[in-house]
Amino acid sequence: MRKIILFACTVLSAGLLTTRASEPLVFSPHWMPQAQFAGFYVAQDQGFYKEAGVDVEIIHPSPTVSSVDFLERGTADVITQFLMTALTASNEGLDLVNIGQLSQHSAILFASKKSSGIETIEDFEGKKVGVWRGGFREVPMAMLMDQGVDVNWVSVLWSVNLFLEDGVDLMTMMWYNEYNQLYLSGLDRDEVNTFFVADYGFDVPEDGIYTLASTRDEREKELRAFVEASIRGWDYASENQDYTVSLIVDMMRQANIPANKAHQRWMLKRILDLQAPGEKEVRKTELHPDDYQMAVEILKEREIIERILPYEEFFQPVCSFNE
Amino acid sequence: MIKKNSLSFRIIKRVLTFTTLMFLLVLSLFYYFARNSIEESARENAIHIADNAVAKIEQELQPMEKIPEVVAGLMEIDPPHEDSLFLLVETILEKNQNVSGAAIAFEPNFFPDKGLYYSPYAYRDGDRIHSFSLGDENYEYFYMDWYLIPKMLDTAYWTEPYYDEGGGEMLMSTYSVPFYMRRDGERVFAGIATVDVSLDWLTETVAEIEIFETGYAFMLSRNGVAVTYPRREYIMNESLFSMAAERDSELLREIGQDMIAGNSQFREHGMNDTGRFWIYYTPLPSSGWSIGVVYPDAEMFATLRSITTLMIILVLGGLIVLTILTVQIVNRISAPLSQFSNSARLVAEGNFDVKLPKIRKTLELRELHDAFSHMQEELAEYVVNLKETTAAKEKIESELRIAREIQLAMIPHSFPPYPDLPQVDLYAVLRSAREVGGDLYDFFVVDQDKFVFAIGDVSGKGVPASLFMAVTRTLLRTIADKEQSPSKIMAALNKSLSFNNESNMFVTFFLGVMNLKTGQLSYVNAGHNPPVLISKTKETKMFEPAKTIPLGLYEEFEYPEHSMTLEPGDKLFSYTDGVTEAENVRDDLFDEDRMLKVLEENKDKSPKDLINVMMHAIEAHVQDHPQSDDITMMTVSFKGLDHGNTQNKADE
Repeated sequence: MRKIILFACTVLSAGLLTTRASEPLVFSPHWMPQAQFAGFYVAQDQGFYKEAGVDVEIIHPSPTVSSVDFLERGTADVITQFLMTALTASNEGLDLVNIGQLSQHSAILFASKKSSGIETIEDFEGKKVGVWRGGFREVPMAMLMDQGVDVNWVSVLWSVNLFLEDGVDLMTMMWYNEYNQLYLSGLDRDEVNTFFVADYGFDVPEDGIYTLASTRDEREKELRAFVEASIRGWDYASENQDYTVSLIVDMMRQANIPANKAHQRWMLKRILDLQAPGEKEVRKTELHPDDYQMAVEILKEREIIERILPYEEFFQPVCSFNE
Repeated sequence: MIKKNSLSFRIIKRVLTFTTLMFLLVLSLFYYFARNSIEESARENAIHIADNAVAKIEQELQPMEKIPEVVAGLMEIDPPHEDSLFLLVETILEKNQNVSGAAIAFEPNFFPDKGLYYSPYAYRDGDRIHSFSLGDENYEYFYMDWYLIPKMLDTAYWTEPYYDEGGGEMLMSTYSVPFYMRRDGERVFAGIATVDVSLDWLTETVAEIEIFETGYAFMLSRNGVAVTYPRREYIMNESLFSMAAERDSELLREIGQDMIAGNSQFREHGMNDTGRFWIYYTPLPSSGWSIGVVYPDAEMFATLRSITTLMIILVLGGLIVLTILTVQIVNRISAPLSQFSNSARLVAEGNFDVKLPKIRKTLELRELHDAFSHMQEELAEYVVNLKETTAAKEKIESELRIAREIQLAMIPHSFPPYPDLPQVDLYAVLRSAREVGGDLYDFFVVDQDKFVFAIGDVSGKGVPASLFMAVTRTLLRTIADKEQSPSKIMAALNKSLSFNNESNMFVTFFLGVMNLKTGQLSYVNAGHNPPVLISKTKETKMFEPAKTIPLGLYEEFEYPEHSMTLEPGDKLFSYTDGVTEAENVRDDLFDEDRMLKVLEENKDKSPKDLINVMMHAIEAHVQDHPQSDDITMMTVSFKGLDHGNTQNKADE
């Protein structure tokens, strides 16, 4: 099925993309280089973008400037972002649209040390729970509210050290990232209890590709080529993981970001897991209407957004899913 | 070539087996103890190196820890005005060259007029010291590890190492101490006092540690991240756990866990990129980081291995030399032995003059040589003697053979002796125990109707007895020509034999004279075994035992004569003591009873058959026991004048 979709995209873009855009398409993932964005780097490194006739430039956000900022400022034409963050930005007035959903599942989990004795959600009651400062906190918070558990939230950035040092009893983590950092800090997997939000009815998809609504209309051909070549990059990454991991680690080290293959290998595998539809009836790069609905309702309930953009306005894919 | 059963092979085999085993044992023990001692000294060395490094690092870190601790104390007891804190942090940097930065960071909105963030912070910019208030919406320090962790744990904390923000590629760690202040009479958590410390000197200290060629030291943070490592690209990138994951090494992971748990141990590292390694690790007490000292097994034991190799080569060489020497020695010893065996074979073939191998040195072989040579001489001499003796013996034997023939020729031995005399039948046998014997018998006819017969036994055996017997027989014939009566014959015979009888030999003798017409028998018994009368009508009966002495003892002795009349068909069985005294292996004698029984049972047999039956009976009794005495038997059968011919026929 995947091949057929790609084929459809290829035929479309190959025919329409006759003139080359004068300016490159600037792409920013929503974090520093890591395997979370492997497909884009692989597509660039393997020349898939060039082959698709699109000149892509990849830039990265900094701790002070997010990819949404890039989009808003016009520094980037296309970005990836967390669905919740994108919805929040949209609510705040940024006219951004999802042109392809990568992740289909939530990677968020609560982790506790087995030694803490926290075995069930009920055990969370009154415990100190580390949670991200940024926009990823909404789903886990909504989940615990839904479960009727009252906890002592402790805001953290991205470090798991507070958890390792027993400064908190639980901490929100990404399956593909912090959870594995525990392992790579010497904590065995069987020393950690995990509570995936997805298992409690909060399987909210995460990473998607966004652009401004205006850009989507103006540069549709280029964007289609970009998305198509990026998917090709992801497929290639999936089939060539050693190469991909080496490529990512090299990039990270050039960017002075601590990196090792063990962690990036784990991240790549988990990101690929999250992209797979699993039990959901969803097609590749599609944002399922139910998932969208679940996401906006969480945000609305938590009074983070006021208005709900219609699904069709928010999700405007550049590739057709006709099989 | 050495043969498998040869002496040399067996000696070499045993000697080599034993020495090889000894060498193996010694080598193994040497290797075992040397290895243990090297391991022990490596362990001590590793502990020494690591402890030195720890002491050196602690010496630097501990004074650093004092600074924020003093600040924290100051803030609680007598806090300076918040604005003068900039001067305080600048002074800290001025007074402490090793401090790269210092901050006194307050809780959000701690001083309402200072806003959300208030954190006087001093840092170095080259030689100059700058200060400002740290924290804004892009640097929300409340959520940073250096702030949050000591706050949550309410304890001082060395952060995980990090590269400084200035991009100076400087590896840093921050020591944070929580402090409290009085607010409305209450002691409240106020913030965190810190110093930033460059770890470059620390990494140098660890990197300077050299262990052999490829050994090294490294340091791990509390998360197991490589703070210093010989492979630069690992620093801050890899943790021991990521290395373990990429290498799929449970052991490495376990070592990492033990290291960050703050334990000290010397143990086998198990694996590394280039072979087996040993590791000693120990924690830094202040920060909880861990120093590991890695010893390459190959280099640790390189000297031992080369010594062992050299020893093995020497031992092998020694064994080869030993083999050669043993072969030579054994061959030098055993070569004469095989020559001796050749000589012995030749000697056995009768060649007594065979040359013996020359022996110069070996005592035992010289003794063998002397003994062999002595044996040779003795054998030669013995054989010469033996030849002479054998020749003499053969001569004697040959003479004795002739003597036997002569002796046998002296007694009649053609039977029946008188085919023209039907009145008498006779059969006799003489079987000597030796070549020649002392028994005799004789018979002859005198005056046509007088039949003289005699049997005797000379004392002693062999040649003297045979000569005496010959004399007796010759005298008997001579005397019987002149004298008719048995007593006179005996008297004359006794007289002749006794005369000049220096050797005191004697002969028992029975002499009978039978009148062939009447059956009248006159007889004299001179000490001989009494003959047996076998009569058809009467019981087989022995004569009265002789009461006279044998012939040849006493010149004047008179031998009384007895007489009786034989019925036709009567037989007279006479014998020597060789019959009655024939012994078997159990020393049982044949004895008179057995003899009489045989005679009684065979009384109807002819003289020849009777004697043959008796001879068989004796042989059956004696079996294989060698004959010790001459056996002589003679049976005379009187048939009467008229019945002579008919009786003969009936007997057959």
